[in-house]
Amino acid sequence: MRAKHLVWIRRISQAFFLGLFLFLLVESRLPEDAYLQYSLVFSSDVDLRLDQPVTFFFQLDPLAWLSGLLSGHRLIHGFLWALGLLLVTLFLGRIFCSFICPLGTIHHIVSWVKPALKGDRMTRANQKTPGHRIKYFLLITLLVGAVMGLNLAGLIDPISLLFRSLALAVLPAIGVGLKEIFDVMATSDIKALNYLSYGGEALVSPVFGYGYPAYKTAWFIGLVFLVILFLNRIRPRFWCRILCPLGALLGIFSRFSILRIEKDHAKCTDCKLCSESCQGAASPMPSQAWENAECLLCFNCFDACPEGALSFRFRCSPKLNKRPDMGRRAVLGGLVAGISLPLLARLNGHAHHVSDPRLIRPPGALPEKDFLRLCQRCGLCMKVCPTNAINPTLGEAGMAGFWTPHLIMTQGYCEYTCTLCGSVCPTGAIREISVREKIERPIRIGSAYMDRGRCLPWSGNGPCIVCQEVCPTSPKAIYLRKEVVPGPGHTPMLADVPYVDLKRCNGCGICENKCPVKGRPAIRVIAAGESRSLKNQILLTGSLS
Amino acid sequence: MDANHPITRRQSLKRIARISASLAGATLGVSPLLAKSSGQAATTHKRFVIEGIGSKEGYKVKELTRMVFEAAGGMGQFVSRGDVVAIKPNISWARRPELAATTNPEILEAVIELCLDAGAKKVRIADHTIHDARRCFAITGVGIVAKRTGADLVFPRPSLMKRMKLHGHRLDVWPVFVPFVEADRVINLPIAKVHGLSALTLGMKNWIGAVGGRRSALHQDIHQSIVDLARFFNPTLTLIDATRIMIRNGPSGGSLSDVAVKNTLILSNDQVAADAKGARLFGYDPGEIGFIHLAQKWGLGTCDPQELVQQRIIL
Repeated sequence: MRAKHLVWIRRISQAFFLGLFLFLLVESRLPEDAYLQYSLVFSSDVDLRLDQPVTFFFQLDPLAWLSGLLSGHRLIHGFLWALGLLLVTLFLGRIFCSFICPLGTIHHIVSWVKPALKGDRMTRANQKTPGHRIKYFLLITLLVGAVMGLNLAGLIDPISLLFRSLALAVLPAIGVGLKEIFDVMATSDIKALNYLSYGGEALVSPVFGYGYPAYKTAWFIGLVFLVILFLNRIRPRFWCRILCPLGALLGIFSRFSILRIEKDHAKCTDCKLCSESCQGAASPMPSQAWENAECLLCFNCFDACPEGALSFRFRCSPKLNKRPDMGRRAVLGGLVAGISLPLLARLNGHAHHVSDPRLIRPPGALPEKDFLRLCQRCGLCMKVCPTNAINPTLGEAGMAGFWTPHLIMTQGYCEYTCTLCGSVCPTGAIREISVREKIERPIRIGSAYMDRGRCLPWSGNGPCIVCQEVCPTSPKAIYLRKEVVPGPGHTPMLADVPYVDLKRCNGCGICENKCPVKGRPAIRVIAAGESRSLKNQILLTGSLS
Repeated sequence: MDANHPITRRQSLKRIARISASLAGATLGVSPLLAKSSGQAATTHKRFVIEGIGSKEGYKVKELTRMVFEAAGGMGQFVSRGDVVAIKPNISWARRPELAATTNPEILEAVIELCLDAGAKKVRIADHTIHDARRCFAITGVGIVAKRTGADLVFPRPSLMKRMKLHGHRLDVWPVFVPFVEADRVINLPIAKVHGLSALTLGMKNWIGAVGGRRSALHQDIHQSIVDLARFFNPTLTLIDATRIMIRNGPSGGSLSDVAVKNTLILSNDQVAADAKGARLFGYDPGEIGFIHLAQKWGLGTCDPQELVQQRIIL
């Protein structure tokens, strides 16, 4: 096959998979026109689910599969895709990196649109450096750490990283920016501007999120993403060459690849155009030994060579490809880091003591230890949460749980019959549950408690029953009692004051969310009482468990 | 004009429309209002309240809805050709209809069909829900009704909440859900439930779901807030869904044991009369309910049977 054709096939494949990734990303939310058939509406409680297989790229990701297996001893749903990919890599090399990986494609585009270096400087930048070993170091750290019970793969796994960055930072940032413009237009007295604003918002919301989505630490997630993009100015596809642990894993598997570069020394004029266009710094020049594990199989060198000195051929030979150049330091360093990080991670006490009261995990989340072994921090649960309650943690779950999901009730709340987050979790860190299970078992995520000093009726500042009104359990976990409270000016006042019945409370947090006292509401939810934990309990026995 | 009852812009527009319509009718030699009302049990001038009761086993709710409107003289009395109609069901909670937290979708469907038959140009369904709107639309069955009838289901977007002068006693300026202000006709389609603070939620209380802003603060003076909103929105018709009512654990419910089956529909062009009738289903005297009492005092309507044409339809 001619080089031009191969390069175009690659570009089409890249465009397709990046498009698919973005499509699935956007579809990771309830649509505005979700509806159930009549018969379903009138039958029992129905679990709303997404139409699209939004976890596809996570199923395809061998690093997610391997880290989940080593750490959580579980096979993630749909892992056969990942196995298939590894099999393909065995025969074809890092074909994923240049044909499929959406983050790789983005780096490819950024590096190609405006190259930072030109000519000879680019050729020099595209030489192999010891820095390439960093990705093996990271991979070994992640895998050894996973065996030791700390699964950090999702922090730098390219699929998780891209999903998290786009879903929690890039899309909401654009969406909120656009909506601010629409809001100005909506308040205008010019009718045409009003209509434009409604129409614009109706178009923007399904893509960029309903309302004003907000995610804690999103600025940091966005900043990391921007920095990673910026690194392409230093070296093309800096991330893929130097940092990507998935690339390292696939590089190791490509040792047996039968798709190899063929170099014709006689034809080579040493023009170095191949090296100038090589984004993986895989030494395509005939005078150098090909770095099979670094080669992204982008076929740029093949395309660039004016003499036809390079070509890619399937060739079975008993001789294996060149060993990936990991370097002893990277291996040893990875081992040391992989062993020490999990031990250090336990020192904040989250694993063996009761954790932070704000660490309210989504319904169906596994016990904390198992949860951390599986969670990829991809942000999928945060993206689908219809109330925007699920947010990335900062310090609530300790170092080991950085960017894992937790619920912030002042931002959203866990809707009583919603089970969406568990249905999309790619690794099963949040179990898929049914409405029935959620209500009847019941699954508690925490407990509400009153802050009487802030509460309007308790503090004698007027009637208010909002927390009781919105409490979704039947009978309600928040009940009212008529009591005499000291009103303003020493006059006793008869008021309906709210109480919490802990036996009935499931910690959904709608009371905290709707409380008229904003910021720090008069009724708040803490993680205590969460049904996933044996330790973090308040009552001697849960009446319903 | 009474200073306590300032006229809103919408009311004044309506009045002008009404006067010009009757003038136009008079010049044609026939008063349209008189022509329509002849031989009907109720007219648009007269306040009426019609109770429809499904007594037969397995009666059709849609059929009962149609009968109730027929008794009122047909939807054509209220909706004219080319009108934009905004309907306000109560779909605040993502609960299935059986749990009586939300308006029965079959009644909604019947009302939309009647509006369209009467020549309405556009029917909009709108509610500013408490639970997530997308889930409410799907689970309460309103989504499928919109799909089947072709009505617009308006998503409660922040930009559709527009600050307006309500001229209320308690609420002066408040964000209002735009579809209700822009419609030619507004139909209120609440469900009857108990409520922790206002005792009941019926027709007038349903208007809390038609505003934006800090709604949780409205509870600090709930009755006056309800009356202010009811006066502002002033629906053409109120149809209370009391086929199933929530008798405890309101307004969210969540269990079939919270539900009582009453098989009743209450249709009125007087929101106070409709709510008064609804209150009796729960065994309340209408005067006991703060907002009904207050609404009558403010002249929004009447509970007085003397001033009402009352009718009862049994299917």
